[in-house]
Amino acid sequence: MPGPRLFSILRQGSCLIASIHTALDDSQLLRFQQDLVETIGRDRARGVVIDVAALDVLDSFATSTLRDIGEMARLRGAATVVVGIQPEVAIAMVRLGLRTGVLETALDLEEGLARVDGRLAGAADGRRDR
Amino acid sequence: MIPIVRRIVAARVPDRATADDLVQETLARVLAAVERIEPGMVEPYAIVTARNVVATMWRDQDRQRRHQHRVVDLRPPELPDEDVLAQEDRHAMAEALTRLSERERDTLLAHEVSGQDTHSLAAELGSTAGAVAAQLNRTRARLRVEYLLAADRVEPPTERCRPVLLALSSGDRRRQREVDAARHLLECELCARLSEPLMGRGRSRDDEVRVAVRVDADVVAARQAARELAARLGFASTDLTEVATAVSEIVRNIVRFADAGEVLVELLDSPRRGIRITARDSGPGIPDVQEALREGYSTYRGLGLGLPGARRLMDEFAVASEPGRGTTVTMTKWREAG
Repeated sequence: MPGPRLFSILRQGSCLIASIHTALDDSQLLRFQQDLVETIGRDRARGVVIDVAALDVLDSFATSTLRDIGEMARLRGAATVVVGIQPEVAIAMVRLGLRTGVLETALDLEEGLARVDGRLAGAADGRRDR
Repeated sequence: MIPIVRRIVAARVPDRATADDLVQETLARVLAAVERIEPGMVEPYAIVTARNVVATMWRDQDRQRRHQHRVVDLRPPELPDEDVLAQEDRHAMAEALTRLSERERDTLLAHEVSGQDTHSLAAELGSTAGAVAAQLNRTRARLRVEYLLAADRVEPPTERCRPVLLALSSGDRRRQREVDAARHLLECELCARLSEPLMGRGRSRDDEVRVAVRVDADVVAARQAARELAARLGFASTDLTEVATAVSEIVRNIVRFADAGEVLVELLDSPRRGIRITARDSGPGIPDVQEALREGYSTYRGLGLGLPGARRLMDEFAVASEPGRGTTVTMTKWREAG
């Protein structure tokens, strides 16, 4: 059944903005991951901002999928920033004991884009960043 | 979506014409509600609606049957096949009646058909009105079970079937726990089917929700059901998210390791207000529960935090598992501190 779109991946300059629109189950998350990584390669994106503001739960599977995406994107030469984690979700993630240190995050889409731009500029500027 | 609805209804309703009607009804309800359904949730919604529509039909039929003796014939003229159906119905009922003991049958018929009240029955039987009423309730419960078996022309495959169906039919929760009814329904296809009309009976409870779990989407449905029910108790949004996250972790195990399971979400009143989630499956079981509760335990891709993580999010947490038979996780979050 072709229902409403569960997520969207939009291009903005050398950046991709991936927004998740509704709660995804595990197989939908994996499809999101696959689509996103493919799009990074196809569009030669340098940065990815993943907007998870619509998610009311980030459990161990969702978190590990996001980490995997970050790692896959890095291997493909793109920097990933996750934005929009809700305060309650953040609390639950920490109490659940999820380790998310390797995931770069920002408060919202605007900050996320600024972060990615900064990283890209920094990298072009003689790779001060890392 | 239509094939799924059709399959669900057909599995429960043997008569094709009725099944078609119910499928139409389900689709009409889903269409009417489509604006209120979250994107991506149309299919789960349709599945739940289909089950409800079937349960409602059974309940209505059952109610009609129970009250039939009270009405003067107000029924519309009969359709050609109605006679055949009614005949089958009578056969099943007659067959079910023969399976009762003589005393049960006599008392029931005296009360339901001849309209003799419990007081005068009690006087005849040398008992009390209350005891007679209780006996009548047990008899009705048994009759419902025997009627369903007779209508289906089946004998229960195991010795556990009748006690389980009887416990469900009488709505006796303590007895249902004693015979482990929920587990049996996961294991026994016949009882799962026959139990539908039995469970639909009685007061509909709005303080509990059951979610059948088979596929990934059911994990999302279960955690949303838990969140919605918990929200009614006025939990803080942080607590709601913690409950939903814990449910997500636990229910995922059912999809991963067992083929089928069920989640029961209940609101509790005593000893104080709270929400209890019972996730039950008929999977392979956990060989070493203590080990599984240890930090860092992992048997699948992911962070390996399923059980210990969920335990941290909830106030109470218990795992019972039997190798080869399945696992039950029970977890509770209290609304206010004890």
